[in-house]
Amino acid sequence: MVNITINGKTLEVAEGTTVLRAAQAAGIEIPTLCDHPHLTPYGGCRLCLVEVEGARTLQPSCTLPVSNNMVVQTETKKVLDARQFVLTLIFSERNHFCPFCQVTGGDCELQNAAYHEEMTHWPLQPNYQPYPMDASHPYIILENNRCILCRRCVRACGELIGNFTLGFEERGAKSILVADTGVPLGQSTCISCGSCVQVCPTGALIDRWSAYRGKVTQVDKTKTICIGCSLGCGIDVLTRNNSLVRIEGDWDAVMNEGVICEVGRFTPMSEKCDRIVTPLIRRNGLLKAATWDEALSTISSQIKSSPKSIAAVVSTRQPVETMYRFKQLFSEKLGSEMVTSTEEGLFTKYTSSFAELLKHSFEGTLEDLKSADSVLVINEDLSHDHQVAGFFIKRALSSETKLLVIDQHENSLSKHANKVIKSTKGSNEDVLKALSAAVAKLGLTKKTAAIPPSELQSLTAKTGLLTDDYLDAAFVIASSEKPVIVYKDGVEIEALKAFADLINARLICLKGSANSLAASQLGLDGSLNLDQKKVLFVANGDDELSQKTIKELEKVPFKAVVASHASALTSMADVVLPSTEWLEQEGHYISSDGTLFSAKRSITPAEDILSPFEVVGKLAEKLGVQLIDDWAKKVHVRISPVELVK
Amino acid sequence: MAKPKVASDWLAGCSGCHMSLLDMDERIAAVIDLVELRSTPITDFKHPDKTGVDVGILEGGINNTANEEVAKMMRARSKILVAFGDCAVFGGVPAMRNFFTIEESLRRAYIETESTDESGKIPNDPELCVPTKVRALQDVVNVDVFVPGCPPEADTIFYVLSELGQGRIPELKGNTLHWQ
Repeated sequence: MVNITINGKTLEVAEGTTVLRAAQAAGIEIPTLCDHPHLTPYGGCRLCLVEVEGARTLQPSCTLPVSNNMVVQTETKKVLDARQFVLTLIFSERNHFCPFCQVTGGDCELQNAAYHEEMTHWPLQPNYQPYPMDASHPYIILENNRCILCRRCVRACGELIGNFTLGFEERGAKSILVADTGVPLGQSTCISCGSCVQVCPTGALIDRWSAYRGKVTQVDKTKTICIGCSLGCGIDVLTRNNSLVRIEGDWDAVMNEGVICEVGRFTPMSEKCDRIVTPLIRRNGLLKAATWDEALSTISSQIKSSPKSIAAVVSTRQPVETMYRFKQLFSEKLGSEMVTSTEEGLFTKYTSSFAELLKHSFEGTLEDLKSADSVLVINEDLSHDHQVAGFFIKRALSSETKLLVIDQHENSLSKHANKVIKSTKGSNEDVLKALSAAVAKLGLTKKTAAIPPSELQSLTAKTGLLTDDYLDAAFVIASSEKPVIVYKDGVEIEALKAFADLINARLICLKGSANSLAASQLGLDGSLNLDQKKVLFVANGDDELSQKTIKELEKVPFKAVVASHASALTSMADVVLPSTEWLEQEGHYISSDGTLFSAKRSITPAEDILSPFEVVGKLAEKLGVQLIDDWAKKVHVRISPVELVK
Repeated sequence: MAKPKVASDWLAGCSGCHMSLLDMDERIAAVIDLVELRSTPITDFKHPDKTGVDVGILEGGINNTANEEVAKMMRARSKILVAFGDCAVFGGVPAMRNFFTIEESLRRAYIETESTDESGKIPNDPELCVPTKVRALQDVVNVDVFVPGCPPEADTIFYVLSELGQGRIPELKGNTLHWQ
């Protein structure tokens, strides 16, 4: 610890702390533009200059580490004059005219900084040099004329996402923000996570959808979680007049720390489907508007007339409250043996059964992944679902974390990997056994090897690869202290667990949709079998089902569907009940690593639209069935593959 | 003490700042009580008194030689010169033209406009003023008070005029400076 005095206030802070962070911790405000709490200090804007006793010139506080007995002043005339001068230089460099910028009036950190310094004008006039503007991206507009060269976007793209798409071309006043080697952003390696837009302090990077739709002072903010996949990323949902303006990553969320992906940020914005706004009943072949009472009566009379042949399917995007009500009604009260989720256990089945076999949880968490020093990704491609887990891996690669990819198919992580095992024949089990033998041969095992190194040759031959491939791969994954294995349910789990134990690795299965694990914990993971079924009830909400599933469901003579949007599923239904979509309902989700999250409602649905939770409740009422909402106990009945955190 | 004399004029702007001045509503009467209003672009008297005024207010940037003349005359005849609104303070919307050459802007305005037929031509009468790069007022003459905003809000204008009317120099900060 070292002592530092800022504006006469003496503080004790850890060595290596910057003056800026020390001041912030003591509640002393120093204006900054290029600094961002989640990015490494850069020292680019010079707005945070402070006076340090004994120093020849003013010092940038964001990059200056504290030293013992340092005396700092942040509000002297010299400092205030320097701030105004710095802002004048920034304003005069490019087109920083506020009246026609999207972020003006509260969202622009540059404008706010000028207000903070009470600047009424800037003494230097701009040189009116036009810079290129790039609107080639489907979501993002890159406007170099608004750029202040703070490089927050470049740092976010590299440090937080590990994508390294953004960079700068040219030098000094000519510097321009470019994607890759200067290609249009829309044709670049950009993966549309939008982190650059979220960190941009000015209007240089804006998102098309939310531009001009509401400033920070005009929107409501709801902290909730994304239900695009099972990770449970924290998000801020910005709404105005009960309509969605923008989704941002929540910087305070422990797991994702502000980072979200395209699925979380932009996909909800670009969806354009017709909403179901009223109950519909098929009459003379056509779906016609009906009342809730008519619709529920139709369903309940169908259920009563065929009590032994009911099938029920609930979406894994629904909160655990809904799933449990659903299971209680159809499985426990109505006695149907065909009650499952839309996922049918596809991403959890083997993992969950294995935990039951072991009689204890065995998986690691995303925190293990964040601190891993080597990662094996097997049969899991993180380019669409669970992208944020992919970011954790990619961003760690620059700090010497090693990556091994095992996949028989093309994998988007392969190009970042230190070694790729793409077997041409044999099973994953063969690959894992060969890898185990290779680890034993290198003497890197953490416990007694079950497969002797002498078998390496024969095991390798089974997979159509060379022994050197396995020795390289074994070195990548086993020569580290904290290896983590990310796999997809379906990989031969026993062989995988044996290999993990051999090298003392944590296993992580990312599972499927938002409430994949909760569905599995409630036993909603059976395969669909609709033979002899006469009545089908699908609590789909805002989920999208595969063509294959829809085709399968079509077989049942009477179909009732709870859905938010018109789709192939609703068009074949006999009764359609209007459902809320995710932002309009609330409830709990159990993420892939067992954390219980509470999703909040940010948009109020139209009057006639109910959540699937309410719909199941109303149907139970109609059928004269009493439901008890004690899901919190029930999810603990089955042994979970990962420890459930409350 | 005699009431301070105030004159105003508009240059390369949209006259929106003067419209925002009218948004002061009944407070205009209070300001009129404080000052003696001389020339303005919306009253009959068009030039500031040769004998000088206390406060000269200019809206708009300088985008041609005529604007330059008006600005210089106002400066010469005013004790205190106010740059009124974003165009006068920074160059504002008209300054977007500076990202192009003057020839390009004239061609766009007089020939390439969608409503112009093939007879469109750039005016070149020697009696006309000459277009220049758009500049903030302070680039041409010394400015004493800066009132930014596009347009400045009526509350801000009232504050500025009532301070000047009572012989004080307004200091814009906090809410009077913030423009939404």
